[in-house]
Amino acid sequence: MKKDKRIIGKILMVLAVLFFYLPIIFMVIFSFNESKSLTNFTGFSMQWYESLFNNREMMESLSTTVSIALIATVVSTVVGTISAIGLSKSGKIMKSVVMQLNDFPIMNPEIVTAIGLMLLFITFGVKRGYMTMLLAHICFCTPYVILSVMPKIRSLDPNLSDAAMDLGATPWQALTKVLVPQIMPGIVSGALIAFTMSFDDFIISYFVTGGGVKNLSIMVYTMSKRVNPTINAISTLVVVLITVVLLVINIVPLIKSRREKKNEKVVS
Amino acid sequence: MKKLLASFLAAATVISMTGCSSNSGEGKPYAGQELHLYNWGEYMGENLISDFEDLTGATVVVDYFDSNEAMYIRVANGEPYDILVPSDYMIERLLQEDLLQPLDKSKLNCMDLLVEGVKGLPYDPNNDYSVPYFWGTVGIVYDKTKVSEEDLQREGFNIFLDTKYKGDIYLYDSERDSFMMALKALGYSMNTSDPNELNEAYEWLLQCVETMDPEIVTDEIIDNMAQGRKALGLVYSGDATYIMSENENMGYFIPESGTNLWSDAMVIPKNAANPDLAHEFINYVSSYDGAMDNSSFVGYTSANQQVMDELANGDFAGINAYLPRTGNPNDEVFKYDEETRKTISDLFSRVKIAASNA
Amino acid sequence: MKKFSQLAWPYLIWVILMILLPMLLILFYAFTNSGNGIINFSFTLEHFIKFFTDQDFLLVLWRSLEIAIKTTIICVLLGYPIGYFIARSSDKMRNFWVLVITLPMWINMLVRTYAWIGILSDGGIAQSFLGLFGLGDTELLYTEGSVLLGMVYNFLPFMILQINTALCKMDKSLLEASHDLGANRFQTFWRVTFPLSLSGVVSGITLVFLPAVSSFFIPKLLGGGSYFLIGNVIENQFITVGEWNFGSAISMIMAVIMMVCMYAIRKIDERNAGRGKEKA
Repeated sequence: MKKDKRIIGKILMVLAVLFFYLPIIFMVIFSFNESKSLTNFTGFSMQWYESLFNNREMMESLSTTVSIALIATVVSTVVGTISAIGLSKSGKIMKSVVMQLNDFPIMNPEIVTAIGLMLLFITFGVKRGYMTMLLAHICFCTPYVILSVMPKIRSLDPNLSDAAMDLGATPWQALTKVLVPQIMPGIVSGALIAFTMSFDDFIISYFVTGGGVKNLSIMVYTMSKRVNPTINAISTLVVVLITVVLLVINIVPLIKSRREKKNEKVVS
Repeated sequence: MKKLLASFLAAATVISMTGCSSNSGEGKPYAGQELHLYNWGEYMGENLISDFEDLTGATVVVDYFDSNEAMYIRVANGEPYDILVPSDYMIERLLQEDLLQPLDKSKLNCMDLLVEGVKGLPYDPNNDYSVPYFWGTVGIVYDKTKVSEEDLQREGFNIFLDTKYKGDIYLYDSERDSFMMALKALGYSMNTSDPNELNEAYEWLLQCVETMDPEIVTDEIIDNMAQGRKALGLVYSGDATYIMSENENMGYFIPESGTNLWSDAMVIPKNAANPDLAHEFINYVSSYDGAMDNSSFVGYTSANQQVMDELANGDFAGINAYLPRTGNPNDEVFKYDEETRKTISDLFSRVKIAASNA
Repeated sequence: MKKFSQLAWPYLIWVILMILLPMLLILFYAFTNSGNGIINFSFTLEHFIKFFTDQDFLLVLWRSLEIAIKTTIICVLLGYPIGYFIARSSDKMRNFWVLVITLPMWINMLVRTYAWIGILSDGGIAQSFLGLFGLGDTELLYTEGSVLLGMVYNFLPFMILQINTALCKMDKSLLEASHDLGANRFQTFWRVTFPLSLSGVVSGITLVFLPAVSSFFIPKLLGGGSYFLIGNVIENQFITVGEWNFGSAISMIMAVIMMVCMYAIRKIDERNAGRGKEKA
């Protein structure tokens, strides 16, 4: 009985993995297709990569996506962490007002947030382009950072920073040397969420962009009407990029801890 | 594997390069300047932009639209572009709303190269504001193996109501051209402002979407018809040219009851940041090189006389969609009228919703 | 340490400018009639009347809700067993499986949705596969089924992760206790495991239902041009029709519906949690 269940579970997992990875594998394979067809693989070729690298627009969309994601992640992580620390020490009214508003971008359908921001930029005559897209991304990323940092702060001893300062630390030291290291896991997971949200975003970027600034999603959206294997090529590039980043994220701590262990051994 | 790795490395360098723009344009007349172009998607030759950039040293930033209406909203909101490529009636609208600047004819050297028939059209009789880009007709692309010529001759646009082809048709997601089709099928002028006639056209379209199960598409029609996925579709002549050059089973038919004789033209909006460069772009697109690249790649009829003649006898020989029909008294050019636009726009969004509810 | 409280002030200003103000603008546009300006306007309810008196709009709204509900149900049915399996794996395997499930989410949503077009199109591998069962002619792309598939594909990982987290948090000793008290496996599951994992299901539902209702690129990419959901109607109003007032009104209606749904789901969850506590 128990064995049966295991097998059913394993089959289920295999099917799930197949389901999740099928489109990705498909994309990678067909990016090397010789012909334009999305249904028949006629032979190996690098021509779609060639046309991709010659297509400045697509390469720019890729760098826009990456640079916006990176800047938005850094800014929203810093702002989110600082604000969360501030909020934890704030009065009840302040806290509830900010947290209520903070919930809006998370609870609202994305298209509503997008339209709100678009109306904001247009009504106040802000020229839409890279900056507006970046502002919008910071706007919807920060709430996630705050939400993931908040619980960590709450679980801390509220007197921790006071104790540090009693022991002679300046407020800045108390913040960076005592508080921040304690809530680091929350900050990291907040940053990761922010990065994925920004990297993945289509709807909000689509409404707030202008001046020819396109991220990857917008690019794919405008090109999706025609059969265009270059999309597969750029997607494959993204898959590789992300896999490398994830590997680095997962491996670096591993090496670090190994090294630390080594050091410990050397010391002892 | 090595090849693969090399290309990924290449990708990495390209990404890092785009960050700091290259300085290769030095010494060229427009080095370091930017041209903001707002054009239809899939409407330019493969090398048009890069050739123009090589020639002038300028950088071209392109945005794409898939309907005149979408373009209008951005432009009316003050988004600064240097060049737009709207259709006839939309140029009329932009002119009426004073959103365009007159061309400086002394900076243009291309007017003599262009086909007489697309110059001096009613929306801009002296070409003071616009220079034609592509032109053509709207018609029916059909699979010769599935649709008989007699049906087309007999029914004209009403073939889109013929239940024999239920589930086998594409409509084009353009409010003006959908209403054009309906009005022409009913024997009216496509420029009518008579509410009764418009209402009849609306009913015609409703009947179509409710009984014929059509797919309402834009550019998707091109590859799908080239693969012969459906029997019939409403298309622009240029797309038909591409489809027919890919698939010889496809034909292009224009009903006798008349059609839309359209043209898309380049215009410079009032708030253009770089009108000089914009004039340069118009010249290049209209020149033999630029026009050849455009027309041979996209399949739309060139406004450049020499290019049109060469392609009609060369790449696109035997494809009736490439040379627009002339001389049919029922063919018309769109005119712009604010009231009618509002009516049509509202009615067509209902048609689309009705289509998805059917 | 009160000094730190000042750190929150800049963010207060930021949320007022970037979150509150846009919402107020939507409200403003929804209730006014001014073309697209803010200088001269008049208050009106006509956009709401237009929406609620038009059967076509209501039908689109209903269909959006319907497909979102279908998506949610499928995600619960598929996500629960998967999440359950992951939660029951050893620690090492659990991390591995979570990584496997989250990895595709890192790759752009639009890109992944686009990939389905090739798989589902005529003559593609999905049809060839169906051909093995003699169903090779089934039209897959541009149907309601393909839209549903796209939604499940994009949103299922959220459900799996939520359920997995809820199950992992569960106190394992409860299961032993239930066993010791003579309950068989099914009883244990229905009486203990399932109720305790409900909170995960509920938060999963919010994460699936919410984006599914408002999604507009999945229906556009996989549904073809004649598949309209409420998100498409809103996009259309803003991008091609240019009726921002009406578009804002529809957005507002959607936002309110969502809030009501969320509130209802939370209430149900709270009631369940309360009952669970009583039993315990």
